[in-house]
Amino acid sequence: MDTLVGITGKDFVITAFDSKAVASITLMKTGEDKSRELNSHALMLFSGEPGDGVHFSEYIERNIKLYGIRHGIELSPKAVASFARRELADSLRSRKPYAVNLLIAGYDVKTDKPSLYWIDHLASSVDVPFAAHGYGGYYCLSVLDRYHRQDITEEEGIKLMQKCIQEIRSRMIMSMPDFIAKIVNKDGIRLVQL
Amino acid sequence: MAYNGGAVVAMTGKNCVAIACDKRLGVQAMTVSMEFKKTFQIAPKLFIGLPGLATDVQTLAEKFRFKANMYKLKEERELEPRTFAHLVSSTLYERRFSPWYVEPVIAGLDKENRPFIASADLIGCLDFAEDFSVSGTTSNQLFGMCESLWEPDLEPEELFETISQALMNAVDRDCLSGWGAEVIVITPDKVITRTLKSRQD
Amino acid sequence: MLSTYPGQPAVDHPVSAPIEHRFDPYVDNGGTLLSIAGDEFCVVAADTRQSEGYLINSRYVPKSVKLSDKTVISMGGCYADCLTLTKRIQQSMEWYHHAHGKTMSTAAVAQMLSIMLYQKRFFPFYSWCILGGLDEEGKGAVYTYDPVGSYERESCRCAGSASSLIQPFLDNQISFKNQETQRRNLSLEQVLRITKDSFTSATERDIYTGDYLEIFVITKNGVQVQKMDLKKD
Repeated sequence: MDTLVGITGKDFVITAFDSKAVASITLMKTGEDKSRELNSHALMLFSGEPGDGVHFSEYIERNIKLYGIRHGIELSPKAVASFARRELADSLRSRKPYAVNLLIAGYDVKTDKPSLYWIDHLASSVDVPFAAHGYGGYYCLSVLDRYHRQDITEEEGIKLMQKCIQEIRSRMIMSMPDFIAKIVNKDGIRLVQL
Repeated sequence: MAYNGGAVVAMTGKNCVAIACDKRLGVQAMTVSMEFKKTFQIAPKLFIGLPGLATDVQTLAEKFRFKANMYKLKEERELEPRTFAHLVSSTLYERRFSPWYVEPVIAGLDKENRPFIASADLIGCLDFAEDFSVSGTTSNQLFGMCESLWEPDLEPEELFETISQALMNAVDRDCLSGWGAEVIVITPDKVITRTLKSRQD
Repeated sequence: MLSTYPGQPAVDHPVSAPIEHRFDPYVDNGGTLLSIAGDEFCVVAADTRQSEGYLINSRYVPKSVKLSDKTVISMGGCYADCLTLTKRIQQSMEWYHHAHGKTMSTAAVAQMLSIMLYQKRFFPFYSWCILGGLDEEGKGAVYTYDPVGSYERESCRCAGSASSLIQPFLDNQISFKNQETQRRNLSLEQVLRITKDSFTSATERDIYTGDYLEIFVITKNGVQVQKMDLKKD
């Protein structure tokens, strides 16, 4: 099962996901991007049923982008999360629900606040200081409980994320060769080397 | 019902009511958030507590906010607690065969400032109580606490202490609830919201 | 085709059908028990209702038994198992008396009960046991057990059908949990009041608890028993 991690700091959100694409017991490739940029300041990470994640996140991405084009103003991370949650909640009680877990990392340019939304496959959504999906969560949430502060800088955030990934690598029986990390801050979304 | 955990309790006092909830959201044994409140304001002196499956808690909170706003716009008056209880009941019964997994508790003061509390099961069977209503994974413990701590005609501050003690001691015996609590006391002239610290285990 | 047995019709297929052998040796007879240890006393209380599903078998079946001047055992769960277990404890205590010329101490009974329960680890006694009494120093002692013999000495414990209702109340009122007040030792009168309040409250909500409350008070002067009415509905 894939692992998603997100941590908020003073003026940024750092997220990471393992880049494995798996089919049954076979590793098909590494370097798979399990994230989509919903708009300039909102990033969605997804895990769960293969296919569902890509389909759902791209559907959300395009609708959020469309909103930006139509109204000439981007939705705030909170609005993005509410929209995604509602779409997932409606799908939950449809004939074939999406089986996806999401993390939405965003930076609200109006209030200058970073935010992270944890949304599970049942469409429960919560605004959290840090969060994880998948088995990796069992290992890194305790690390985050111990070391996370609300006022950490980007460098500290990267260090903390490395600590989490190190914990996952050393304790999880599955091999976790590479993670891809992305940071969302006032300047937008960027890839970071861990 | 026990997937995310949670507890809600409401109590009546002398010309006042209180409603309280824990703040945990978990996925079975793993705690995800300690800031997940389960009570929502419907009208100035009316609240609903929604323990149960978190996704349905959120969906219904939105639904009830929408319905309460529409009521106010159409009727041009405040929604009465008893009216709202029936609205909750019919909203839940609409989904009789694929229900929302929540067991709501309603607390408020009516237009004569008389205390009103009620609870419903997941398909909307209403239960109007004179004393207290409990719901969530901690309902057994809350029943025991409320049954022994509650007494009639409590003043707002006494009611606050009673409901807080009932909730805190109850959630400490439930591994799916706790991690802080929120207590709302509704009196004729103000609504007092307090956040409680509690055991983090 | 010829029939194997006279009078039985001949068939050309096997006639053995699976026969279901099921044996359900347990029944839940409900009831609630609690024990609170004081400075130099111990209170053991239990309701006396015995039920099976929605039926009340009897309104007066005591769940507590005096084992010695210093020890009282209270048990809930499957009444048949509780009877057998009580008998075994009493017999062992008698043998101990004959062998050593003295009564077993509360701590010794506590250890023995744990062993007795664990001896039946793979066909357990369905019983929730609470042992109350005075220890060697004359202080109140409460020992609580799970059905397979895990045990622990505590200051107060409630077990049985209304345990989830009463235990948080005891945490609050006996152990002063979530209270700012300094923890203090409670008098016998206070403990008895809390005990009675616990049961009247539990009786309101738990259908398996009610009828009468039987309270055993263990002090250095021996064991006194008092009875109180509970609601019978």
